[in-house]
Amino acid sequence: MSETENKPRPNATTSETDRTDSTATDTRPSGQQTTAGETEETVYDEWVQYDYAGAAKVTTTDLNVHYGDDHAIKDISIEIPEESVTALIGPSGCGKSTFLRCLNRMNDRIRAATIDGSVAVDSEEICRDGANLVELRKRVGMLFQQPNPFPKSIRDNVVYGPRKHGDIKTGVLSRLFGRDANEKADELVERSLRQAALWDEVADRLDDNALSLSGGQQQRLCIARCLAVDPDVILMDEPASALDPIATSKIEDLIEDLAKEYTVVIVTHNMQQAARISDQTAVFLTGGELVEYGDTDQIFENPASQRVEDYITGKFG
Amino acid sequence: MSDAYGTDSALVEGRSSAFERASALAVGLGFLAFVFSWATLFRITPPTAELLGVTLYDLLGLGLVVVGVIVLGLGIASRTDIVTTTPSDTGGVAAASAFGLAALVGVGLVVSQTLGLGTIVWLPVALLAGAATAAAVVGAREDIGATIPAGVLAVGVGLAFLTNVIGPDWVWSPTDLAASFHAPVVVPLLTIFCSLVVAWPAAKASAGFGSRGRQTGAYLLIGINTFSILAILVLLITFVAMQGLPKLTDGLEIGLDGFAWPFVMNVSSGIYIDIPGVLPAILGTAWLVVGAVVFAVPLGVGAALFLTEYADEGGFTRIVEIATNGLWSTPSIVFGLFGYAFLVPRFGTTTSLFAGILVLGFMLLPLVLITSREAIISVPDEYRDASAALGVSQWQTIRSVVLPASIPGIVTGVILGVGRIAGETAPILVVMAGSPFPNSTPNVLGSFAFTTTPPFVTNDALLTSASALPYQLYATITAGVGATDVEAFGWGTALVLLLVVLSFYAIGIATRAYFRRKLRYE
Repeated sequence: MSETENKPRPNATTSETDRTDSTATDTRPSGQQTTAGETEETVYDEWVQYDYAGAAKVTTTDLNVHYGDDHAIKDISIEIPEESVTALIGPSGCGKSTFLRCLNRMNDRIRAATIDGSVAVDSEEICRDGANLVELRKRVGMLFQQPNPFPKSIRDNVVYGPRKHGDIKTGVLSRLFGRDANEKADELVERSLRQAALWDEVADRLDDNALSLSGGQQQRLCIARCLAVDPDVILMDEPASALDPIATSKIEDLIEDLAKEYTVVIVTHNMQQAARISDQTAVFLTGGELVEYGDTDQIFENPASQRVEDYITGKFG
Repeated sequence: MSDAYGTDSALVEGRSSAFERASALAVGLGFLAFVFSWATLFRITPPTAELLGVTLYDLLGLGLVVVGVIVLGLGIASRTDIVTTTPSDTGGVAAASAFGLAALVGVGLVVSQTLGLGTIVWLPVALLAGAATAAAVVGAREDIGATIPAGVLAVGVGLAFLTNVIGPDWVWSPTDLAASFHAPVVVPLLTIFCSLVVAWPAAKASAGFGSRGRQTGAYLLIGINTFSILAILVLLITFVAMQGLPKLTDGLEIGLDGFAWPFVMNVSSGIYIDIPGVLPAILGTAWLVVGAVVFAVPLGVGAALFLTEYADEGGFTRIVEIATNGLWSTPSIVFGLFGYAFLVPRFGTTTSLFAGILVLGFMLLPLVLITSREAIISVPDEYRDASAALGVSQWQTIRSVVLPASIPGIVTGVILGVGRIAGETAPILVVMAGSPFPNSTPNVLGSFAFTTTPPFVTNDALLTSASALPYQLYATITAGVGATDVEAFGWGTALVLLLVVLSFYAIGIATRAYFRRKLRYE
C-alpha cells in the first residue's frame, strides 16, 4: 500500500476526543493475498468483525432485501455502536440506502420490497409483526437526500412530529380546556433549532414558510424537525449531496456534535466526508454485500480487502 | 472558421432602421386590416361607412395593396443585398403549403367559376398551380419565397377591391352550388386571410428572416391567436352586458333613503310587483350550487384519497377511473331523466330543489374526483416519506400534509365543475322546475323543522320545486310569458346568470390564491 494512494486523511479534521474507540485495529488476516479480478475476491468474515467500546445500538443479522427478483442486499450482519457516527460507503446501487431504510422499516413503504433477517434496536427485534412503527420511527429518525420540509411555517415544521404524537397539544379544544401548550412548543422549537444550529438564522422569522429557506437551511430544519421527536438514532441518506460546500461543512460540524448524544448512521458518496466525520465505516460493494466494516482510520489507511482499497483510491465506483 | 457553416452572421446585426420600420409598419397595417375586417364582418362598422370620402371596401383594399407592396419591397431589398439579412436557403414547408393551398384554391375558383370550365380542365390546372407555387416557395431563398407570393396575393386582392371588381353590390353564385356569397361576407373574410398571410412574412422580415425571423413570425401568429381568444371573451361579455344592462338597472335607486334594485330584489310575479325580478331564480341557483358542492366535494375528495393513498394500483382503480370518465361524459339530460325517474318519486313525488341538488351533485362528482386525484398525486412523495419517517400515521399525514398541499388543485376542479353545473338547464328542467316565474323565494334555512318520526329533520323548501336562472332564461325565451318586455327580461336574466357564475369563479379563485400563498412563500 503506497502512501500516494491514500488521499483521505481522517485525522486532519476530526478530533480524537469524539471517538468512542480510537485504536485502529488491523483486522486484515495475515498472509491473505487479494485476487486480481475485483469480483473474484473472497470476502472473509474477519473483515466485518469490528471490536468497539460501548454498547450496540442497532444490530442486524443476516439481513436480506429483495426488490422483486433483484437481490438488493445479501446477508448483512453488523453491529452499530451507540453515540457514534457510522458511515456507509460504496458505489451506486450497492444497497447502502436500502440497508439504511431497513433500520427504521421505511422499506415497508416500497411494495415490491421483501425483507428477511433480523434488525434489532436496543436488542428489540423490529422486523416482525406487531412492531410499533410509530414508536420505532420516533426512536429512529431519518434525514433524506433532498431537503424535504413541509410547505408550512418553520415553527409548524419543527412541532409537527410532537404535535401529531400528542406530546404537544394545540388547537381549539386544548385551548378551551386550558391545556394549551404554546410555551412548551416555543421551548421545543428553540431547543431543536439551536441543536440544529439554525436558531440564529431564523429566530426572527419562525412564521415564514419553510420553503423560503435556502437548501442548507432547509436540511438543517429537517434535522431540527427530526430532533424534535427526540430520537435515539438518526439515519442520514446522503444528507449533504444536494448542498453547496459551505452548507455541507455546516451539516458535517452538526453531525459531529450530534454524535455526542445520538447514534448517527450516514450514507455518503463522498469518501472525504466519511473519513472526516465517521468513527467507523462500512463498505458495501457491488452486489449488495458488506465487504468490510471497521474503524474509519483502519478502513481508509489499511483496508483488508483489495477491492475496498481500489474503491477508496478511486480505481472504480 | 465561420465559413464552415456557410453563413457569416455578425453577433450584433446592423440592419438599416428603414427596413425594420417598414416591416413593423407592414405588420401593424396588416393587424389593423385584420381587426377592421372582423368589425366589418360583425357589422360593427356598417358597409356603407366612409373615411375621408373613401368607402370601407376601398379602404380595406388600399390597406392590402400598401402592405403587399411593402412586403414585396422588403423581399426584394433583402434579396438584392441592400440590407443584410440571414435568410435560410428555402422558403420553408409551412409557407410552401400555405401559399400552395392558396394558389390551388384561387386558380381553381377562377378557372372553374369565372372561365366556366369543367372539372377535367380546372382540377389539373388548379393542382398544377398549387404544386408549382409550393415548389417555387421551397426552391427559392427564404426572403423571396416567403414575401413574393404573399405580396402578390395581397396586392391582387386589394386591387380587386379598389377597382370594384369586387364591390359592395358584388354577388357570387357558384355554378354547382345552391348558395350565393355577398360582398359583405366575402370582402372581410378575404381581407382577414390576406392580412394574416401578408403580416406573417413582414414579421419574419423584421427579424431578418432565418431562424430568428421564423421565431418572430410564429410569435406574431400565436399572439394574434391569443388576442382572438381574448377578443371573443370580451365581445361575448360586453354584448350580454350591453343588452342586459338596461333591464338590470331598471328602477335602480341608490340614495340616503334606501337602496332598491328591483330586478335583482323582486320576485318574478305578484300583484304588487311593478318590475318583475329574478330573485327566486338567483336564490335557486345559489342553493343548487352550494348544495351540489356540499354533496359532491366531500364524496369526490374522499374517493380520490382512497384511490391514491390506500388502494393498490390495479384492476379496481382502473374500473373506477373508467366509470368516472364515463360519468363525466354522460349527457346532462340523461342525468336529468335518471333524476326524474329515480329521485323525484322518492322525494315527495314532485320536482324539488333537493332532487336538483342531488342530480347536479352527481354531475359534479366525477370532475371533483378526477381533479382531486390529479392534485393528490402531484403532492411530492418526499412529504409523505418525511412524515412517515417521523412516525406519523398515514391518516394523520394525509390530513395535515397531503390534503393541505392539494387544496389549490381541488379548488380548481370545483371551480370548473361549478361553472358547468351553474349553467346547466336540461336536468333542472326535468327534476326541479315548477313555475318559471315564482312569486316567492326558496326559504331553505328557515324551513328546517324537527319531527318525531324518521327522518326527524324535514325541510319543505328543499322538497318543493324552485326556479333557477338558466331555467328561467330558457322559459323566457321559449314561452315569452311572465314579463311585459320579454326580450329585455331575457337579456337581464342572462346578464345576472353571467354575473352569478363569475362571482362563484371569483370566490373560487380567491380561495385558491389564499391557499397557494399559504403553501408557498409568504
